[in-house]
Parts: sequence; C-alpha cells; structure tokens
Amino acid sequence: MARLKLPSNSKVESGKTHRAPPGATNVRRFIVYRWAPDEGSNPRTDSFEVDLDECGPMVLDALIRIKNEVDSTLTFRRSCREGVCGSCSMNIDGVNSLACTTPIRAVKGAVKIFPLPHLPVVKDLVPDMKRFYAQYASIKPWMRAVTPPPPDRERLQSPEDRDRLDGLYECILCACCSTSCPSYWWNGDRYLGPAALLQAYRWISDSRDETSGERLDDLEDPFRLYRCHTIMNCTRACPKGLNPAKAIAEIKKMMVVRQL
Amino acid sequence: MPDAYPITEHTYDVVVVGAGGAGLRATLGLAARGLSTACVTKVFPTRSHTVAAQGGMSAALGNMGEDDWRWHMYDTVKGSDWLGDQDAIEFMCREAMPAVLELEHYGVPFSRTEDGRIYQRPFGGMTTRYGEGIAQRTCAAADRTGHAILHTLYQQSLKHGAEFFIEYFALDLLMDDAGACRGLLAWDLDTGAVHRFRAHAIVLATGGYGRTYFSCTSAHTCTGDGNAMALRAGLPLQDMEFVQFHPTGVYGAGCLITEGVRGEGGFLTNSAGERFMERYAPNAKDLASRDVVSRSMTIEIREGRGVGPLDDHLHLHLEHLQSDVIEKRLPGISETAQIFAGVDVTKEPIPVLPTVHYNMGGIPTNVHGEVVTSKAGDQEVLVPGLLAIGECACVSVHGANRLGSNSLLDIVVFGRAAAERCAELITPGESHPPLPGDSEARALESFDRFRHARGSRPTASIRLDMQRIMQNNAAVFRTGEVLEEGCRLIDDCRATMEDVKVSDRSLVWNSDLVETLELDNLIRQAVVTMHSASHRTESRGAHAREDFPERDDANWLKHTLCWLRNGTAPEFGYRPVHLETLTNDVQSFPPQQRTY
Amino acid sequence: MRYRTALSVVRGAGAAKDGTRHWWAQRLTAIALVPLGVGFVVMMIALLGADYDGARAAFAHPVAAALWILFTVALFHHAQLGLQVIVEDYVHSLGLKVAGIIAVKFAAMALGAACIVSIIRVSAGS
Repeated sequence: MARLKLPSNSKVESGKTHRAPPGATNVRRFIVYRWAPDEGSNPRTDSFEVDLDECGPMVLDALIRIKNEVDSTLTFRRSCREGVCGSCSMNIDGVNSLACTTPIRAVKGAVKIFPLPHLPVVKDLVPDMKRFYAQYASIKPWMRAVTPPPPDRERLQSPEDRDRLDGLYECILCACCSTSCPSYWWNGDRYLGPAALLQAYRWISDSRDETSGERLDDLEDPFRLYRCHTIMNCTRACPKGLNPAKAIAEIKKMMVVRQL
Repeated sequence: MPDAYPITEHTYDVVVVGAGGAGLRATLGLAARGLSTACVTKVFPTRSHTVAAQGGMSAALGNMGEDDWRWHMYDTVKGSDWLGDQDAIEFMCREAMPAVLELEHYGVPFSRTEDGRIYQRPFGGMTTRYGEGIAQRTCAAADRTGHAILHTLYQQSLKHGAEFFIEYFALDLLMDDAGACRGLLAWDLDTGAVHRFRAHAIVLATGGYGRTYFSCTSAHTCTGDGNAMALRAGLPLQDMEFVQFHPTGVYGAGCLITEGVRGEGGFLTNSAGERFMERYAPNAKDLASRDVVSRSMTIEIREGRGVGPLDDHLHLHLEHLQSDVIEKRLPGISETAQIFAGVDVTKEPIPVLPTVHYNMGGIPTNVHGEVVTSKAGDQEVLVPGLLAIGECACVSVHGANRLGSNSLLDIVVFGRAAAERCAELITPGESHPPLPGDSEARALESFDRFRHARGSRPTASIRLDMQRIMQNNAAVFRTGEVLEEGCRLIDDCRATMEDVKVSDRSLVWNSDLVETLELDNLIRQAVVTMHSASHRTESRGAHAREDFPERDDANWLKHTLCWLRNGTAPEFGYRPVHLETLTNDVQSFPPQQRTY
Repeated sequence: MRYRTALSVVRGAGAAKDGTRHWWAQRLTAIALVPLGVGFVVMMIALLGADYDGARAAFAHPVAAALWILFTVALFHHAQLGLQVIVEDYVHSLGLKVAGIIAVKFAAMALGAACIVSIIRVSAGS
C-alpha cells in the first residue's frame, strides 16, 4: 500500500554547516543528503558553502571540491565526468540528472542534492541499483537470431534500418528516467521502468534481431509494461535527450497491431 | 595490529579484474568456453572508460575502398615508431577483421554504408599502400563506438551468464613463493567485506593510469590499479615513459573530442587562422599520428600562435562540414562541445589542447596476453597464472605511440586471445593447490594501515601535488633537466604517502579509502613514468626529448622495464623489440625515417 | 527474500501475456466517450428548463435511447478499467487488491445495469 508517512528512522534531519573560507565572494550553498549505514543515526542534510570562483562549472565539480577540501567522507559515484558513463546520476534541485553535465548556474539558489529517489540508499548519494540492473538483464538485451550470421562478413543492415536505433542505443543506464517515474516508485518491483523498456524497444527495432515476437510476449503484462501511464517524467529527466516514453508508446502500439 | 578482517572465499578457474572492453571480452569468452569465471570490477561494467571511446575500431575490411591488413600493420609499426613488437602487431591486424565482424554479429549498432556494410572513416596515421593514400579503415558507430561496443559486450556477458562481482575494489594479487599468481584479494564496497578469489589464472584488464596527470581525457576511475598490483607483486612495467597526448581535448574541461572529427574533414587552426598542420605533415596534414599533431600544436602555442585571451590553445573547425555529417556521424561531440565549451559546432570552432589520453606502457605480455618478466638474463620468463590485456598491458602493439582506433581493436583482439589461452591451459574444475599466506597478510596490513592513516596530508592534496608534477615535468616535450627535477619531486611526493590522512574509517563504500588506495597505485606509476622518461635518452613516438631530438635505434630500439619495490628506487632492465613477424605472410618492416 | 537474486525477483511469475486488451479497451472507450459525452452534455443543456415530458420525449426516440445505452456502457466500462488500474497502482496487499478489483467491477456492472434499465423505462414511456 502506498505509504503516507516515513518511518521515524528515515526522517531527514538537519546536519552540519560548513562555511565558505573567509574572503570568498562568489559563494553558493550546497545542501547534500548524508547517511552512513554504520553510524546508526537518521539521514541528515549537510550544508556546504562553496566559492564558485575556485570551482569548475558543473555540480560534480562542486561535489569533488567539497570532498577534496572540506569533507573527504562525502561519498558519491563518479567516473567519466563527461556524461557517457552514467555513474553520477542523482537528484539535483528536485530533478534527476547527471552531476557532471548539470551546470551549477542552471540551479537557482541553494543546490539541493539527494540520491536518486525511491532506491535503497547504501551511503550518502550512492543508491543500490541491483534491481534496476536485473530489470535490464530480464529483457534479454542481446542479439537473438535463429539465422546464423554469415561467417565471413557482417549482417547487412540498411542505413534507414540503422537510423531506427538512433535515440535508443545511446542509453547509459543512469536510471534517471526510471527513478523519476511515479509508477516506478509505486510498482518498481513489477514494472520494468522506462530504461529497461527503452532497451527492449532498441532490440525490437533492430532489423538484425529475429525475436521481436518473443520480446513482445515477454513484455505483455499489466505490470511489466502497462504500468506506464504516460506521465512523461522519464523523457523530461533523460540527460541524454532520449525519449523512453515514445519507445514505450511504440511497444504498446505493436502489441495492438499484432492482434489486428 | 591490523583489525581482523573476516574473509569470504571464492574459487574459480579464472578471475578477470576489470570490466572494460578487454575484461568483458575475456569474461564472455571464458564463460562461453565453460570455464568458471568471475569478473571483479570496481565500477558497473558499462561505466568503464571504454564507454567514452568515440571514433572507432580499425580493421582492414575494405568496405569503403581498397585495404589490406598488411598496410594496417605497416601503419601501426610506423605509428609505434618501430618500438612495437611486429609479431604482436601482425597478430592484431590479422585478427582485426574477424574481431570486428564478431562484434557486429553480437549486435554492435555500427553505422552503415549505402550497401548495408559497416561504415569506415579515415583516422590519423591510417594509410593505404604503405603510406601512399588515406585509408578508410576505422569502423564506427557514429561517434559513440566505445559505448556501443562496451554495452554490447556486457550484453553478451549477460547472455553467457558470466558472474560479476560489481563494485569490488581489487587490493592485491596473491603470489606464491615461486612467483606464480594464485589469486586475488578484493574489497566489496557494498558490504565492506574482504573477499579472496582463488584461480588458476588472473586476467588483469584494469586500464590506464591517466589520472596521474592534472589534465587528462581519462575518467576519475582510470588509476591503473592492475599496473600497481603488478609492481607490488615484484613485476616490472614496460615502456612507461610513453604517454600519449590526444591533440584534441576540450580546453579547460579536458573532455575528449574524437580524431574522427578530423577524419570526417575537420581541421586545426592557429591564431592567424592558418591550417598549421600542412607545414608539419605535408601529406597527412591533420591526420598525422597523434604524437606528431600534439607536438605541432605545442610548438604553435609556444611560438605565440595560440588562440584565446592567454594564447594557450587552438581551434578545431567543423563548421564547414555538412549538417547531416555532423548530425549522423558526430552527434556526441556536438553535445560535448556544447556542454563543456559552450560552442555550437555548426557555427564556431572548438577550443582544444593536447591532453593526456593513453598509456602505451604497462604490464609486459606476449601475444597470448601472458605476463612476461625478465629474470637472470632471460627476458621472456612467463609469470604463471597471470595475464594482462587492454591498456594495462604492453604487448606491445602500440610501441612508442598508439594510432587512433587501434585501442578498441587491441582490447577486443587480446581479450579474446587471453580467453582462448586460458581455455588451452586450464581444464574446467581443476583443483587448486593451497595458498601461501604472505602476500595476503601484506595486502591486508597495507589496507588496514591506510584505513587508519592519521597523517597530516589529505589524499586530495597529495594527489594534486602528484598531478601537477606530472603535468609540468613529463609533458609533450621533455628535457633532461626538467625530468631530473621531476624525478626528485615525484620521489618526494611518493614519500609523503607516509603522512597521508584518511578521515573515513568505515568499510561500506568508504570512498575516502578507495581514493587513497587509488592514489597509492597512481603514485607508483607516476614514479615509474617519470624515471623511465628520464632514463630514455632519445626521442621516439610520444617521448620527445629536446636534449635528444633524434631517434637512436643503435642504443634504444628496446623496451624499458622498470621495477619499483616498496621503499626502494626504481630499477631498470630491457627487453628486445620483436622485429620478426609471426608468419611468412608478411615481411618485417625495418626501421625507417618516420614522416607524415 | 534476502537470499533471492534480484533477477529472480524481477522475473517473478513471468509475463501474464495480458494487458493489451485492457489497454486497448480503455483507449476505445475513451474515444467513444468523446462524441457520446459531448452529445450527452449538449442534450442536457438543451433540456435545461424542460419538464419531464419534454425530457422523456427526447429519450423516446430509439436512436437516442440506443446512444444513451452506448454512452452508459462505455462510461462504466471505462470507469471500471480506470479504477482497476488505480487499485493495482496503489493497493499492494493481494487480498485488498482482489477485493478492490471485484468491488470496482461489480459496482460498475450494477450501476451500469441500473442506468440501462432506467433509460429503457424512460424511453418506453412509463
């Protein structure tokens, strides 16, 4: 049942405040969610004042600066810092996005940073993504074909057929879309979520794959697919500009068309 | 006294460390061959830095014009400034075609030609007929080829039911007294537990160590953990002085702009608007190999022809390209340029600067990926139970300078070769001899010491020192004086690790400790790189000495080996370059003058 | 639960191979409700201030009666489909969920039947 009240040990308390060094003129406040499993205390939000003149332009630059200069215990995932690896997805100013490609100046006032919503928190800004990855694995995201590929050359594909994969294969599995979807919040245990469905559609659309039917069969379910209520948060959240909502709509369309 | 760390035991036929392109290709090959395989990785596989490769993967398919793997081999040997081992290069260039076709069969969404074949673009240093024409050899999926390949390899690993240990940080190799590798110790970030993996073979696929430098295209996670584990295991690293600067990193941010931009017709200009590469490389121009372009750019900037308020960078133009070329072939870099340079590539040039990109050096191996070392005069001594592939390995197929699009090829070809080799050597389910305890105790002692380190220097401050030293003293151009100063500075910096301060004492996702362990790894490689650079008194490929401007084949046509044991200075040795080929299908290419 | 793999949980009992009819019916009834709903509103506005006989006469025409019955069927079918989705979205205990779905279906049928009987009776002129 949808829960209306947080359990008392989940209430987010107000934590420490770290002032900017004296003399800093271009100061911005970052309010960051903190929780460590072994401390036994409630989550809290720490407040860090960062001198933007001493810091790179992106939210990730500020987090790294905080970790380097103020509090090295602050924990978050990061890797490529150019928006292709999908590690630093988090909730910034109420919107799921990649910290490395979100400019600080795009946020007005204090920058509030929380982990991706509705996933178990492991520590600070690091959520547990095991279920998300399992959902991806469950759609069998690999080439399935009965006809063996030619032994000495590639499978042929027309540029037009290849174009159909644009906007689908670029997904970086950052989970910004799925964890922004209210339907995924309520039914994430059974609804596959926009990221997995986008990848399912990537394979359904691939002219080289021969199992579109089986793929559709595996999705035809009131929960796996049809929990999508076209809320469109996924498409708004996607930091790569992809459109999972459209992909899901296309899957639903194929479901009907194959019955007609 | 170190804390007692309860240890979780695992036994596998093979353990792969790292889940980038090389690690995944090996993992799925091993799983497909029926060997029980674990892949231990500190990040989720699709977050590995292979994902950021853009331009493509070379293979002489000849889809878009005549091509031959021998020409590819010649280009690679020439690109390596003859430091590459020709047997390994022959192997790689021959295997390139089946490797890329296999990837296509796995489902990589390559861009296509009108007749449905894999699209291939020109790339730096890739020529036809031994340098006569420009080859279209680099197989591309728009400018997201690494992403496409990495995701596909992960998908294939899922298909084959490979077992992953994700977000496990590898602490050390477990070596026995005879010098054989018998297992691996790793730390599970999610639970904080220490795990011991016993295996007949450990395959290191841990990537490069770009983060020793202040400005690099590499991810934060590119800390060369495997190289450092090899050093701690008493093994040498090879050719570490050769660090590739990519000509086109975004000015300021350091993000990569693919060479594919120049392959598609983009070019560089200086403050006078001149296409200066025409002066430095009259034939290949902007498509000369990376060391040549980076050096030319550095000279332009040094001679005052840089652009911007500080005259400290250059311009990369693609405004003149047709919009559908940009849209279809270069969508990713358009996005990157917009986000990190605020530039609309259809209207303005991108500000770029040579930026640290790739490490040609690494753990010495043979063509099968088996690690070799030099012992008592024998320079080809196998290290039983240890393989290395990808950027952390030095086969060496890249020699003194890697050609663009040869690294995606390297990881796939040698990932596969390592899996095949393990399958030849290991019978599934073979029993394991008991493990010696020493190396494990050392690893845990060091782990515990860092965890409780109460010095005065936070990890980030030592790291910044190291990165500044490397950036200043081991740059595109080097001189003996600057390198000697660099050796002194980096040795002092290494010594400050004794005074490191870790604030987080927890075990679950203690990223403070992770960064400290990574720094310990980085700094060892920084020391080896600086000393190796100071040691090699010639100019070859990416190693450009102003005090020794010429290549010196009489004295230096050999690989540098460098050992770095705890608390001691680096020790050097050498291995011969394999000038002989693997088969009679091709003749060896004797050293020549290298011009583009 | 602790020892089950994430994949086993996600795969669960497999795909129900159902849901398309539900989704399609919801779309079709929604489409049908647009003209029928507009017609209903127009007619109600036209009947503003009319007496019972005037209203009854408007219902008496067989086409009108048929349209009203169609409107009722579409409306309650659509409502039932939508309410079921809401129950599935928010009610996670199996017992309550089944009870909720049954209640929604039965209530829709009962109310629909009542409406249809009323339309027939009004149209037949009693």
